[in-house]
Amino acid sequence: MRSGRSHGSGLRVLLFTLECALGVVAVILVAAFTHWWLRLLPVVALLYLLIVVLTALWCGFWQAAVVSLSAVVAQSWFTARQPELAIAANPIASVTLLVFVLVALTVSRLSARVTGHAREAESRGGQMEDLYEFTRRTLQMDLHVEPGPQLAELVHEIFNLEAVAVFDADLHDVYAAGFWNVDPQEMAQNVYYFETADDDPVTGVGRRVVRLGTVPVGSLVVRGDTGPLINNAIASLIAITFDRYRAFANESRIETERRTEQLRATVLDSLAHAYKTPLTAIRAASTGMGEMGHLSAGQADLVGLIDEQTRLLGDLTNRLLTTARLDAGEVAIHVARVSAGTLIEEVVAALKDRLASMKVAIEIEDDDLVLSCDQQLMTMLLTQYIDNACKYSNFGSTVTIRVQVTGAEAIFSVHSIGPVIPMADRERIFDRYYRSSTYADRAPGTGIGLSVARRAAQIHGGYVWVTSDEEEGTTFFAAIPLALEREISL
Amino acid sequence: MTQPGIRILVVDDEPAIRRALRPPLVELGFQVAEASRGEEALQLLRSSSYDVVLLDINMPGIGGIETLKRIRSFAPRLPVLMLTVRDDEEDKVEALEFGADDYVTKPFSTRELIARIRSAVRRVRAPARPEDAPIEIGEIRLEPAKRLVTRRRIPVKLTRKEFDILYCLMSRAGRVVTYSKLLTAVWGAESREEVEYLRTFVRQLRKKIEDDPSNPLYLLTDVYVGYRFADAQMFLEGSSNDGSPAAEEMPDGEHAQESEDVPEDEHEPPKAVD
Repeated sequence: MRSGRSHGSGLRVLLFTLECALGVVAVILVAAFTHWWLRLLPVVALLYLLIVVLTALWCGFWQAAVVSLSAVVAQSWFTARQPELAIAANPIASVTLLVFVLVALTVSRLSARVTGHAREAESRGGQMEDLYEFTRRTLQMDLHVEPGPQLAELVHEIFNLEAVAVFDADLHDVYAAGFWNVDPQEMAQNVYYFETADDDPVTGVGRRVVRLGTVPVGSLVVRGDTGPLINNAIASLIAITFDRYRAFANESRIETERRTEQLRATVLDSLAHAYKTPLTAIRAASTGMGEMGHLSAGQADLVGLIDEQTRLLGDLTNRLLTTARLDAGEVAIHVARVSAGTLIEEVVAALKDRLASMKVAIEIEDDDLVLSCDQQLMTMLLTQYIDNACKYSNFGSTVTIRVQVTGAEAIFSVHSIGPVIPMADRERIFDRYYRSSTYADRAPGTGIGLSVARRAAQIHGGYVWVTSDEEEGTTFFAAIPLALEREISL
Repeated sequence: MTQPGIRILVVDDEPAIRRALRPPLVELGFQVAEASRGEEALQLLRSSSYDVVLLDINMPGIGGIETLKRIRSFAPRLPVLMLTVRDDEEDKVEALEFGADDYVTKPFSTRELIARIRSAVRRVRAPARPEDAPIEIGEIRLEPAKRLVTRRRIPVKLTRKEFDILYCLMSRAGRVVTYSKLLTAVWGAESREEVEYLRTFVRQLRKKIEDDPSNPLYLLTDVYVGYRFADAQMFLEGSSNDGSPAAEEMPDGEHAQESEDVPEDEHEPPKAVD
């Protein structure tokens, strides 16, 4: 890095010397020519001035100063050989010389400044163009792949820098372009971790923390001919690109998930529909056989078994269908005023068979409690809870169904006494396809039901949870807002 | 128990279902004809006569509901039973509004289906009942003229609306009455959406006429569709026939054990029905 810089300054010195030498040679030529051809003498000062101004315009003030001094020396040296023109003997000549030097310096100063301004404007214009180009290219960047390598290459190429390093804190990776003779990894990460932002004019290294708002998201280190403002701008553009990449990645992830879910739901839906017809035929056939009579006890038993299993399969199919539709967001929500009592009574009535061996207690705190909800979804939720309680409670124990109002919510709960649900499972049993290891081989099930219950509660803006211990038994809760404040949406 | 002379038209696009239905129906003495489409069924109905139609709701072509509408245009009293699937509650209601007599949910049991067919045919064949003739079903007796309801011969105190609901249901005993039909009959057309209103009244009614209101025997719920009052037949036949009478009215027909609970003595033979 350092050798690179000294290499550059050496070149600059050489160029300076060359420019001065050219000017001096021109001055000496004019002086020599005037010496030989004295008729040129009255305009010699103007010729010098011309050389000085040209030098100032093309090369710079210091070159012009050197040239004007050389003009004074050359003129003095040549006139010293002609006594009538000697400076010491001719005060007018001294004044002329002095005026010449002053004018030359002033003019060079002015012209150098003009040239400087022009160059600066030109370089600024160039930088603006570079920035514009960089912005354009980042906007067109392919966001399907990580942006770091592309950014480093772009900065390196567009701003014509010696070396670039970009650190993406989110992916925790450093991307380098150009030639670094120190490790860009560590350097870029240090800038991020210690939040150092500076520009070193000696080495030409600029360091920036890439921030989104106030949050650091990475860092940028450049070496080469840029300015602090340009570095700031580059850092901002990198931050924006990082952000766009994240948003894009997030969006495509969500979109992919949604599509997968939809596809899964469609497959499930068509499967379940395809099962219905054969199931109906089997059940009609088996029960028809029973109706026709003439069956031996064993035959009747087997026909009964076919019927029973077909019904199980039918229930499962229905449940799959409902889940698939819930997940695909295809369940039409019909919000109506339904009393909590009616809800519970209807669910209990529908589950009469399954509850036959259980004692059921219904505790409704407020008989007039009316909810705005989708009756079908709420029925599904309660059916699931009660069905679950039947499956996992001790034989002959009581299932208590309760609804009470707490704040702005109606809390439905189904309590039963049965095996304790391990702490680790209490959240996960509401996940689809999750079945507690404790129960997996104890009761039939698919691991779908409770996820449906949770979905049903969520659609109403509510939530579900479960408590379980040896003494108190197991209670499944569902909190449903009394008044739906926002539009129900899936 | 055979059914001499009952001609039944089975309309379903699934050959497997038609195949499963034919043998038991034939064995039980029904005369079975089949159609795989609504259009075909309409042709058959125009060329020959039937006592009852089993009509699948989801069929290619004009479909079940449209077929029903067209049947109703020329045969307003022909009993039509719809074959539906579980999550088609709206279709069920629509079919009932367009004049279907009843529906059976797939996968159904043949026993339940046959019970529904018999009950539908019986209703049509029964002589027309005078408007204010007393209705007696099981232990419940309702006398429209006196606006009196008795249970086990003890008068039951009902409010005016409760009586209207009970009358509406009992006069159509065995058939489901949709929420909106019931609401319209009792409160008028502008109240047809107030289902929750109806539920409250039904809850009160059950407390007055049922032994166990949460496990009703008479006033049954057809979830999402409406209410139905138990068919008089199930209390009449009691233990006399091949199966469980109670099963007739249960959505799934799996409740054979409950037949023992049905009181079959202690009451006069009903005069209102049959």
